[in-house]
Amino acid sequence: MTPVRAIRVGLVACQTCGLVMQRGPVPSPPTSCARCGTRLRERRPRSAENTLAWLIAGVILYIPANVLAVMYVSGVGGGEESTIIGGVLSFWRAGSWDIALLIFTASIAVPATKFVALAMLLWTVHRGSSWARKQRTALYRLVEFIGYWSMLDVVVVALTAALLKFKALGTAEPRLGIVFFCGVVVTTMIAALSFDPRLIWDMGANDGH
Amino acid sequence: MSMPTRGRELLVCPHCDAVHRAVVLARHEVAACVACGHILARRHSLSVDQLLALTVTAALVFLIANSYPLMTIEVGGMQTEATVWGAALLMLHGWAAWPAAVLALSMFILPLLQIALLLWVLAFARFGRRAPGFDRVLVTLHRSRPWSMTEVFLLGALVAVVKLSSWVHVTPGIGIWALASLTILLTILSLVEPRFWWTLLQAHP
Repeated sequence: MTPVRAIRVGLVACQTCGLVMQRGPVPSPPTSCARCGTRLRERRPRSAENTLAWLIAGVILYIPANVLAVMYVSGVGGGEESTIIGGVLSFWRAGSWDIALLIFTASIAVPATKFVALAMLLWTVHRGSSWARKQRTALYRLVEFIGYWSMLDVVVVALTAALLKFKALGTAEPRLGIVFFCGVVVTTMIAALSFDPRLIWDMGANDGH
Repeated sequence: MSMPTRGRELLVCPHCDAVHRAVVLARHEVAACVACGHILARRHSLSVDQLLALTVTAALVFLIANSYPLMTIEVGGMQTEATVWGAALLMLHGWAAWPAAVLALSMFILPLLQIALLLWVLAFARFGRRAPGFDRVLVTLHRSRPWSMTEVFLLGALVAVVKLSSWVHVTPGIGIWALASLTILLTILSLVEPRFWWTLLQAHP
């Protein structure tokens, strides 16, 4: 059994507080929520376009974020700049495979997964596909959930730089790569928040739109 | 003006737009959308008093997490320590100010704002009153939630402890325990669904 969809029976739910209101047949359709005052919209405006724009911005920032160094550490034996992948590898070589895996997941795998997942969602929505709707909605929830964990490396760099301040004995400084990396996290989070998952359910064979 | 629907309360899934009739949930029951599986409602057994107690605790723990060092490191007799806001502040110059601002917002300012707003709403609700600016406070709480990231800071601090311990002597501080407790408290508070907050005063007239 397929449930009734709000848009087809003239109902609209406030995206902030969840109050369900009638859109018609009242003479003038409601413009703001009766409970919390948020502007009522059936769908997030220009959702696909905004998501695509933020996604492209994220992909572009992802390149310098991985190529440039994120941190510079110096000690008695001289200084060394390290990239994100370089940090993962040095943990791996030092035998801390668990930390290496954690940073790899948060900093490299999570953003890459978000790019692929959001691109796939945008493409299938654009085509009006009715394929695997439930699974695609679950994929959206996953993208939403994993989003902010990528901030992990920014936290590690900030804390390391704040702590290692021993002049000749050891110092750490953030490098430009971390700015781009932080940009990747913020842009992909905005991309995920701009995407309206209801678009997955809006078009398709058995739902004349 | 818009008309709320009459009769039994309706729920519309925010992820797929499917319309459901609200049902009364038993303790620990959750209501999931029949079409897409999104959790529509969750029955929690916390009263306003209990929520207020949790929020007051969160405020105290927040204070501790920011007054005591997360960790202390020692090299050749010299010591440095890092606090939550200190980590962000130290980067606040030059181009590093950009990620530092994001960190300060997501790890310090927004969690603090959330605790303050919850305290405000709950303290009034405790006496059956509608807090001044009720609507705006709840909307702000809703909007700021995705950007509040205490749990990420906790994991980052733990990774930093492990990372630094390969070079220098690291001692985890009281701050890290407070941060862990804060993460748990904020997670419990964030599980309370928006509908509960919006109907807070209907339940407590």
